[in-house]
Amino acid sequence: MISLRNVSKVYNGNVKALDRVSLNIDKGEFVFIVGTSGAGKSTLIKMIYREETPSSGQVFVLGKDLSKMRRREVPYLRRRIGVVFQDFKLLEDKNAWENVAFALEVTGTPKREVNRRVTQVLNLVGLLDRRDAFPNELSGGEQQRIAIARALVRNPDILLADEPSGNLDPKTAMEIFNTLERANIYGTTVVVATHAHDIVDSLRKRVVELRGGTLVRDERRGAYNH
Amino acid sequence: MRLVGYMFSQTFRSIWRNKGSSFLSALTTGFALFLLGISFLVSVNLGFMYQMAETQMEIQAYMDKEATWTQLAGAVSQIREIPGVSEVKYVSKEDALEELREMFKDKASVLDSLEEDNPLPPNVRIKTVGAEHIPDVVEALQSLDIVDDVMYQEEVSRRLVQIGKAVQYLSLGGMLVVGLVSVMVIANSIRLAIDARRQEIGIMKLVGATDGFVLMPFLLEGVLLGLLGSVIGTGFAMGGYNWVSVKIAEFIPFMPIVGLDQESIWNMFGIMALTGVMVGLTGSAFSVRRHLRV
Ligand SMILES: Nc1ncnc2c1ncn2[C@@H]1O[C@H](COP(=O)(O)OP(=O)(O)OP(=O)(O)O)[C@@H](O)[C@H]1O
Ligand SMILES: [Mg+2]
Repeated sequence: MISLRNVSKVYNGNVKALDRVSLNIDKGEFVFIVGTSGAGKSTLIKMIYREETPSSGQVFVLGKDLSKMRRREVPYLRRRIGVVFQDFKLLEDKNAWENVAFALEVTGTPKREVNRRVTQVLNLVGLLDRRDAFPNELSGGEQQRIAIARALVRNPDILLADEPSGNLDPKTAMEIFNTLERANIYGTTVVVATHAHDIVDSLRKRVVELRGGTLVRDERRGAYNH
Repeated sequence: MRLVGYMFSQTFRSIWRNKGSSFLSALTTGFALFLLGISFLVSVNLGFMYQMAETQMEIQAYMDKEATWTQLAGAVSQIREIPGVSEVKYVSKEDALEELREMFKDKASVLDSLEEDNPLPPNVRIKTVGAEHIPDVVEALQSLDIVDDVMYQEEVSRRLVQIGKAVQYLSLGGMLVVGLVSVMVIANSIRLAIDARRQEIGIMKLVGATDGFVLMPFLLEGVLLGLLGSVIGTGFAMGGYNWVSVKIAEFIPFMPIVGLDQESIWNMFGIMALTGVMVGLTGSAFSVRRHLRV
């Protein structure tokens, strides 16, 4: 499903963000990417949805070699990958429903289909009753769940999350990870970069650790620290 | 279908959001197109003048206002003797006024004041056997004392054509300059529109909108601004033309001015709309390339 082969990424000719990273992630897996600040977690996530391309090495996602992928194919890759960020990235002038529907509208999904899927996914994140609320009327946790709903509305093969609980208190963070787990149960492959030790420790999923751009640990049912 | 509706509503919202700069864009484009329109209208008139010049190779000899009947009659027979002359027609000052009245049926009241003290000189209209005789005949006429001034349509038309050409070049040149400015103003307007929607664009790309879908509303916005400009330009060109025609009819009655019929208005609008669309598209494409990185 996701396969990195000897991937290195050098920014601006000198910052080595990833250093010969090889990694395989199968369909249906739930993977934590951990590591100190600057270890290369976000860079790795960006490789997967082709926000960045490797300086060397290859990235295969959903059977495609991303280094050979043409620009105009990228949107179709992105339609099969949901992405969630620390800062939610919701549009302030759209309410919860519209923010989620937006992801379908910009690809020309028929209205009935939009209604059906948005209802479904807002139900999944438990916020169907807040559908008319605007982002500034929602708590951070609720906003992040709306962002997750948007990432999931297309029923993607892969869900990527880059520090999804970075701005949230521990209890709310747990809710977010439960929501991600729920998506995982429905078959979506989930990759999460995070600093949330407690959660990583309690969920016991596969843990991949980066240090200075190199992969130093890949452990089944791992913990935040070795 | 839904995509198209979505893009149009985005475009209109965007134009409305940046009202000021949108209006400025449409106005400068309108001005550029107004100049283009002038050039178009002049060229319509030039064509008309060429036609006139061809069909009416008639020489007019304006006679001395003080001349007596005998002198005039003598002059007419003298003129008949000039080699190359085929037809000679005498027009008295009263006839001349009457002719003018004919030409300006509806605006004839302007001429009422001329009635009491008719300033028009009596004149003689001469046709030659062929255009090649005109210079010689004109020269012969000018040598007669009783003849004050000689004019022939070809000469008049030639001068008008010269003036017309000058106006045309000037307006076309102006149009190029102002057109370039409009491209820049539209580009700026589109840049503002892009900036206002940066976050939205980022999310669109994230969730898999195609490049075409992302940039289309901005190109459309440029096109609409250009079209709006062409409406403004046509309005001003038509208004200006009507005003100028009335003024010309008042002050230079002999100058032929083509009336604007439905067809030429549509032709003009068509040319302007096409140019407006190109200007808008160029401006928006420029900004989209620079600021959208797609
Ligand atoms: N666009 C960029 N241009 C230049 N350098 C970059 C860029 N993005 C990241 N870097 C550098 O690459 C390295 C890895 O950054 P990355 O964002 O992947 O780390 P991270 O593990 O996500 O850190 P954090 O936990 O703080 O989010 C850092 O040294 C960073 O400064
Ligand atoms: Mg990061």
